Amino acid sequence: MGTQVLLLFALTLVVTFLVIVTSIILVIHKVVNARLLRERKKVYSRYASTMAELLLVDLPDMPRNAKPSALFKEYEKLIAPIKRELASLTPPIRRMHREALRMVMIDFARDITGESGQRLVYFFYSLEFVEEQIHLMSDRRWWIRAQSARDIGLLKAKKGIAVLTGALEDGHPDVRRQAMESLVVLVGVESLRSIFRISKNISQWMAIELSNLVTRYKDDAIPYLVEGLSSDDKSIVTFCIEMLAEIGFTSAIEPLHRVAELHPIVEVKAKAIEALGRLNDERAEELLITLTRSPFRQIRLSAIEAIGRLGSRAAVRPLIQRMDEGSFQEKLCAARALANCGEEGMQTLTAQSRKSSPLNKSIVEQVMEEKSRTVELRR
Amino acid sequence: MILRAIFCSIHIRQTASIELMAEIILIAEDQQHIRNLIEYKLKNLGYEIVSVENGLEALETARKLKPKLILLDIMMPLMTGFEVLVELKKDDSTKSIPVLLVTAQSKENEVLKGLELGAEDYITKPFSPNELAARVKKVLARTAG
Repeated sequence: MGTQVLLLFALTLVVTFLVIVTSIILVIHKVVNARLLRERKKVYSRYASTMAELLLVDLPDMPRNAKPSALFKEYEKLIAPIKRELASLTPPIRRMHREALRMVMIDFARDITGESGQRLVYFFYSLEFVEEQIHLMSDRRWWIRAQSARDIGLLKAKKGIAVLTGALEDGHPDVRRQAMESLVVLVGVESLRSIFRISKNISQWMAIELSNLVTRYKDDAIPYLVEGLSSDDKSIVTFCIEMLAEIGFTSAIEPLHRVAELHPIVEVKAKAIEALGRLNDERAEELLITLTRSPFRQIRLSAIEAIGRLGSRAAVRPLIQRMDEGSFQEKLCAARALANCGEEGMQTLTAQSRKSSPLNKSIVEQVMEEKSRTVELRR
Repeated sequence: MILRAIFCSIHIRQTASIELMAEIILIAEDQQHIRNLIEYKLKNLGYEIVSVENGLEALETARKLKPKLILLDIMMPLMTGFEVLVELKKDDSTKSIPVLLVTAQSKENEVLKGLELGAEDYITKPFSPNELAARVKKVLARTAG
């Protein structure tokens, strides 16, 4: 009994001791962290103020035809004291200072342009931050690679173009997206060429980013979108078709025509047909009529819908044929398309409602009702 | 003689402080690096700068100092730039102070809202410090005229 009580007492003592030690360690850890955070803030604050001065301080007057190297020499004189100071620090403190300085510079890179922006780019190179970022692009952690890809763009480091182009094939979608965004910053609309050539299976998110970019450049993006139609990747071709239809330029008709006619993937063909209909150009009429007889249901449906958008009178006969021979969905699409083919189309529909099968009759009735409702709404 | 010198010196100091007060520009921006940059640029142009890092301080300082111009960031803690702007325009003592909004790029709605609320002008990030200085001068010249 006595031994047990002793053991219990000893155990309680040990546990209490452990709890106290752990608490002390935790407190010390917290204090150290808080101090470190304070120190980092202080360093950030110092560099933010120094950097603001370095970015705005007046340079000595230079002749107009002065070489860029002369300007760079002046920039180097500005940054030299910081480099000297960094070199004099011990490795762990230097690391902390460099990180704070990098953060300050990236924050500035987001917010300033003009000559100060150029200085900033020079400072990035001079402090070897660009090299560091390029090196980080081969890190095994995807978030580090994504962050580096973003920072290379922010640093406007043209040296990073090759590594960013490579990152378009990265295994992680976020890295690919950041690389794409940075490439756009560094190269402009021409980056679309590399993006369409290299990218594979673009995500919906990336497609949204890309579409923003295409909308921004509009006319200038057309040649790259047309080039993108020959990509091996289905997602790229589909995206290019969508965008060509969206931008609505008639120069896109010929290339889309080719895709609608020759592309080996039915889904892609159907997309191109749909785009041709949206572009509303009569040059596509003949092809669309031919495609209403395609052996593939998806293509026939897209072609009928596209013809409906065109509202072509020449399509009346093939559309009647689809109403007679097609599936329920084809019949419905063809009836809707006929309703869009002007007077002749409407007359044909009325005639169909008199002499067709009960199914066709009900389809025609439905379409006529839809049409009259649309007319009423327009009024 | 000595007394006269003392009085003179007091008078000079008072005049100088009134003149400085007349040229005060208030910077309300929560990001330290941007605050430093604008401060440095405008100080070099001879303006007296007072800077604050949140909306509430901005409003209090504006009421107290009646600056010649307020550079107002939209996204700020405690009170947004818009809220500050509304309060400034409500108050008779501050409603005539011109406000230059500092906003993020491509936020057209923000700009429109700011101008509707009574801001004099705006500048979008990223900006060139020289452009900012030019706008500040323009706004000051316009309101002085």
